[in-house]
Amino acid sequence: MSASTKPGTQSAPIALPRDLLHDLRTPLNHILGYSELLMEQMSAAGHEEYVPHLEKIRKAGHDLLDLMNNNLTTEAE
Amino acid sequence: MNRDMLSRRLQRRGYEVMIAVDGQLGIDMAQSELPDLILMDMSLPVIDGWEATRTLKATEKTKSIPIIALTAHAMSTDRDKAIEAGCDDYDTKPIELSRLLGKMEALLESGGANTSQIRVNS
Repeated sequence: MSASTKPGTQSAPIALPRDLLHDLRTPLNHILGYSELLMEQMSAAGHEEYVPHLEKIRKAGHDLLDLMNNNLTTEAE
Repeated sequence: MNRDMLSRRLQRRGYEVMIAVDGQLGIDMAQSELPDLILMDMSLPVIDGWEATRTLKATEKTKSIPIIALTAHAMSTDRDKAIEAGCDDYDTKPIELSRLLGKMEALLESGGANTSQIRVNS
C-alpha cells in the first residue's frame, strides 16, 4: 500500500488530458485480458503450475486500474 | 492485439465471432452477415465506431442489430455520447469479461437471438 492510498487520506483526483488517460487504460486492457486468457488456457491444458504466476500479473493490473480509477480524472474540456 | 484476445475468450465460451479491422469493413460485414450483436470499438480506422454505428442504425437492414460500444474513455459523458450515437449499451476498457458477457446476454435475449453470432471490431 503506498502512502498516497493510506486510510483516512482522501485527496482530490489528479486531472490528466483525456487522451493520456485513454492511453493509460488501453495497455491495461491487454495486461488484464491476456493474463486472464492465459489463465483459462493453462488451466484447460492442465498446466496449473503457471496459473499462480499469471494471477500475480492479473492482480497487479487490477491494483493499477483501481489506483487510476480512484485517483485520476480527465481535465475539463 | 486486443481483438484477438477478446475474440478468443468469446470463442472459448461458444460464441461465433467475426472480426472487421476497420469501420468500413464493419459496416460491409454487418450488412452481409447480419450478426446477432456487434461489439464496436469506437476508435476504428477509416471510419470510426461513432460513424459506423450511426450508419448501421440508419440502415433498415441493420438498425435492429444491438451494438455495444467499447472504449477506453471511461467518463459518464462518453457513455452518453455512445447512446446518443445509437449504441444499445457501452462498456469500458479494460474489459471485465463477466460484466461484458452480462450486457451481451441481456441484449441477445431481448432480441430473441439464438445463435450467439457476434462481431468484434477492435
